Amino acid sequence: MGSRKGFFTDTTLCIGCKACEVACKQWNQLPDDGFHFTGMSYDHTAHLGASTWRHVAFVERPVPLQGQTSGAGDFSWLMMSDVCKHCQRAGCLEACPTGAIVRTEFDTVYVQPDVCNGCGYCVSACPFGVIDRREDDGRAWKCTLCYDRIGDDQTPACAKACPTASIQYGDLDELHARAESRVRDLHQRGMTDAYLYGKDAQAQPGTGGLNAFFLLLDRPEVYNLPPDPVVPTKKALRSWASVAMGAVGMVAVALGAVAFGREGRG
Amino acid sequence: MSDDTLLDRLQRKADGRNIDPRAGILEGEGAQQRVKDPEPARQGMGVLTTVPSRSGPDSAGAPSYYGLPVLKEPLWIWTVPAYFYVGGVAGAASVLGVALEHLGVRRLERLAERCHAVATAGDMVSAGLLIHDLGRPSRFLNMLRVFRPTSPMSMGSWVLAGSGAVNTAAFVLRRMPGALGVMGRAAGWMGAVLGLPLAGYTAVLVSNTAVPLWQQVGRTLPLFFMASATASAGSLLSLFPHTDAEERVLRRFRIAGKVAEAFTREAVELEARQVAEVGKPLRTGASGALWALSRTCSLAGLVMDVLPGRARWKQVTADALTTVGAVTARYAVIQAGKASARNPQATFQGQRQGLGAAQVEGNTEASDGKPLSFPLPVLGQGSAPRAGMPYARFMATRPEP
Ligand code: SF4
Ligand code: SF4
Repeated sequence: MGSRKGFFTDTTLCIGCKACEVACKQWNQLPDDGFHFTGMSYDHTAHLGASTWRHVAFVERPVPLQGQTSGAGDFSWLMMSDVCKHCQRAGCLEACPTGAIVRTEFDTVYVQPDVCNGCGYCVSACPFGVIDRREDDGRAWKCTLCYDRIGDDQTPACAKACPTASIQYGDLDELHARAESRVRDLHQRGMTDAYLYGKDAQAQPGTGGLNAFFLLLDRPEVYNLPPDPVVPTKKALRSWASVAMGAVGMVAVALGAVAFGREGRG
Repeated sequence: MSDDTLLDRLQRKADGRNIDPRAGILEGEGAQQRVKDPEPARQGMGVLTTVPSRSGPDSAGAPSYYGLPVLKEPLWIWTVPAYFYVGGVAGAASVLGVALEHLGVRRLERLAERCHAVATAGDMVSAGLLIHDLGRPSRFLNMLRVFRPTSPMSMGSWVLAGSGAVNTAAFVLRRMPGALGVMGRAAGWMGAVLGLPLAGYTAVLVSNTAVPLWQQVGRTLPLFFMASATASAGSLLSLFPHTDAEERVLRRFRIAGKVAEAFTREAVELEARQVAEVGKPLRTGASGALWALSRTCSLAGLVMDVLPGRARWKQVTADALTTVGAVTARYAVIQAGKASARNPQATFQGQRQGLGAAQVEGNTEASDGKPLSFPLPVLGQGSAPRAGMPYARFMATRPEP
């Protein structure tokens, strides 16, 4: 126990079966969030939320997959199983005023439901729009990276259920090596678009790297991922500096108003 | 509903978990999540009728995922912007109160008293407004469970709690003789020291988020909020009946605040406008209208205040206008932030133009390993969709050849 754990989601292997979504809902005993028809390809989940901790995105592109020809002509699918990224510098954790969000011994980010008071600050602070508050529950929820399973040396439910090994779970160092060799392999086969999203601090300085990182084939925007995310805390200093400036001004105005206003005619 | 099918009813009863309590136990990580009605859990999503799969409703160079938001919209309800106003007034009033106490003359004593009363009442109301916003109000004390410098909300909770305590102490003890009076006046000092961050931290609170507009105005918003707090406190105190001697102090205080508010508001607007999509909610829609209304009221309040003439009605109108301007400004900022969180292009364009991590880390490449730039090169230009393809008729925007 105690080593850094994470997910490597290889979107080139995803077949869009949503087994991960179902496995996650079942294992975590998450409630229903309504039946909806969206009209967006096969994606009727639409986004991650308080009771949806895995979400499979379906992108339809009017261009063929690199290095492949198919009967469908200029068309290709991209499918990606999205999840909480368990950021190294997690916006949600750094914003939480109650200490409900903690970093576990597996280096993952965990929300303690018995502490959260539902202030909703984490929801605005996550640069990926992952964590959400369920209105009828009043607390914030997100993927726990199956905290209850990995403590028992079990694989998280989604990775266990994935039939194509698109979702891989393991020690972060090992996942990094595996992901890099996969990218090399794809590049050799002509898919030079393949790249790793958020593998480490070098690839994504704003978050210091993601414990749940991805292999993607198109720009991040296409998958609804931000192209250059940053943990908001990294920009807080300049705002506090402005508060200090404002404080000096406020003191000056108060003292000046009294000093010049106490005598004579206004 | 009466036309529910049996399946619907079973689903609702079992809240989608479908676990028979006699056969299984609820102890999964999400098992305690309370559900009243599953249906409204995911709102605000219409059915898509065209298939602009590759990019949102925008141009081909600015792709998005069906135009869906990247971020979750901030959840704060009306009490939060109301608190921004009330907390600002309380902070500025406690600063003026201490200044009056230490520089003022005897005849200003009563104004100092009033400042402390406004500050104390403001702190109490603030706490109530904030607790009302919580998803689990009964757990409000958890706010003081940790001290977390990275979280402006944690810092703010401590500042508000501390300010409430010392301002109350000052209000009660100030006039007492001997040691208690000394303690009361010391508490008043501490209230002023805490009042400064109380008036300004709320701007850090909003800018320390992923919401593009709020993050963008991180430098100027604290100045605007603090200037506006000064103007609001000055105007509110002037609305109470007061003497000529007090008016001479109040007039200087509030006019300085109003002038600073007018200038810092333009600074906020300039900072927001650096990226077209980010600044948009301050110019268009409901939030834009609120922002414009707020500007008009604030400017009118300033102009009326400096025009010659000392009629009471004129003064009351000016201060009422300033108050309305300050309150609506906070609502406008919250509404505009929500609008910018809903717009995926606000996130994408800002970050592609170097206002994401690049602003602090200096990285020149986006997370896809390509140089940051906007608009993006259109993918697969050589192979625009052929009109005969089955999906082509669904394409909302066809890439230009
Ligand atoms: S993706 Fe969002 S919710 Fe998940 S760890 Fe990062 S900041 Fe927190
Ligand atoms: S909603 Fe809960 S988990 Fe999120 S920041 Fe507030 S207290 Fe922390």
